[in-house]
Amino acid sequence: MLCQNCGKNEATTHIKQIINGDMAESHLCSDCAAHLGYSDVFSGFGLNLSELFGGFLGDMMPSITSGKTQRCPKCGTSFDEIAHSGKVGCADCYRTFYDKLLPSIQRIHGKIKHSGKTVSAAPEQPKIETKEEKIEKLKAAMNDAVAKQDFENAAKIRDEIKALEGGENK
Amino acid sequence: MSKWYIDKGDQGDIVLSTRIRLARNLDEFPFPAKLDIAGKNKVNELIKSVLFSNDGKDFSFIEMKDLSRIQAVSLAERHLISPEFAAKKDGSALVLSADESVGIMLCEEDHIRLQVMKAGLALEEAFDIADKLDSMLDAKLKYAFDERIGYLTQCPTNLGTAMRASVMLHLPALTRCGQMNRLANTVSKLGLTIRGAYGEGSQPKGDIYQISNQITLGITEETAIANLKSIVLQLVSQERAAAAEIIKNPVEEDKIFRALGVLKNARLLSTDEFMELISVVRLGAARGLIDIPIEKINELIVSMQPATISAGNADASNASARDVIRARTVREALQ
Ligand SMILES: [Zn+2]
Ligand SMILES: [Zn+2]
Repeated sequence: MLCQNCGKNEATTHIKQIINGDMAESHLCSDCAAHLGYSDVFSGFGLNLSELFGGFLGDMMPSITSGKTQRCPKCGTSFDEIAHSGKVGCADCYRTFYDKLLPSIQRIHGKIKHSGKTVSAAPEQPKIETKEEKIEKLKAAMNDAVAKQDFENAAKIRDEIKALEGGENK
Repeated sequence: MSKWYIDKGDQGDIVLSTRIRLARNLDEFPFPAKLDIAGKNKVNELIKSVLFSNDGKDFSFIEMKDLSRIQAVSLAERHLISPEFAAKKDGSALVLSADESVGIMLCEEDHIRLQVMKAGLALEEAFDIADKLDSMLDAKLKYAFDERIGYLTQCPTNLGTAMRASVMLHLPALTRCGQMNRLANTVSKLGLTIRGAYGEGSQPKGDIYQISNQITLGITEETAIANLKSIVLQLVSQERAAAAEIIKNPVEEDKIFRALGVLKNARLLSTDEFMELISVVRLGAARGLIDIPIEKINELIVSMQPATISAGNADASNASARDVIRARTVREALQ
């Protein structure tokens, strides 16, 4: 697809916008996107910078194509995938591919030393169960109750499961 | 409860609003793009449990899948959510304060996109509110963070403070003088970016622009805010000077009063025509030619966007029905 602004270059940047009360998507080349001021994902117009950033990382592609593909231990994303999409998979991707990502980060920001707010000491994060996990747990408890022939309790748990499956979120 | 934009605020003749956005992620979970719906719901529940355990009486929790398209677009028109987020359904949620000044997008591009809006130029105040909420979340959640590159975000362009500060400005006179391209170039050399707040391109609707910081790594929140503020104040004084020149011209003065005449009398008003005329009228009101409170004009600009009209009026399903309602509402407001 050609850029909707200049009609010359290949459109690589897709911007979601609100136009006349509805959602619309514009397709621009990276030059026009930058020229029109869509060079930032963050302030509301939803530019997908991945192509621009992917382009940055693309320069280093040859050096990493050899050998076995290294993947992030947490989310399974490879450096190739990050380079192509411009999207990092998780916090551990940064740790896994830190040295490879650093040159691009430096090119984007100029600096690579954070200054500003920092996080507090690692807190005890509360645990949250999804509905599916709650149901899973209850089912195990119900089977347990049945095995112990505690049918009264099993029936109670069954009702709880039904209530959860019935769409009541809490 | 009255909305945040019913205020005029500092530098209110030129500055419509200030916004601070912080991006945060939880260390334990992959970023939203790598997370399935159950995982996203889990992240949302976790953040919700922290928010609502403390100070959450003021907040409502909205799942994006429960909103109609019109409602979602209306939130984006009011700059409460991003257009990207408006398209999201399962696994994304919005936490919104009653006055709509605080909004937290859950599982947008990052797990948390916390935003605070204020009327007028109020960067420090807005940052202070955002910072306190962030610290409250930080006390209970383990954020993705690295000493060297700051808050870890899905897109590396947001690393560091992961903060965007933006100011929305009405610059009709500078636009009229053909200064905006030059200013956009200058501003970009200073690590800031400027663009239309409503609609795309070089001539945004209503001459309303949004200027934001671009660099987030290696610069503290305070410095980024101070830089932005000093540029905004320069733009404000340039706009005032240009506007003072413009209104001396009888042709321009005539234009202002004609625009007011149309807004007070029209029976049909399209979005484009409304935005063009209200910009001219706002210039007149800001310079004291017309006696209409600026905050009333600001509120009209927010509430007369198409999806926002449709969201509030059951009978405004198409553009022509909206044009009737828009004309009537504007007429009544300006009487
Ligand atoms: Zn182009
Ligand atoms: Zn990962």
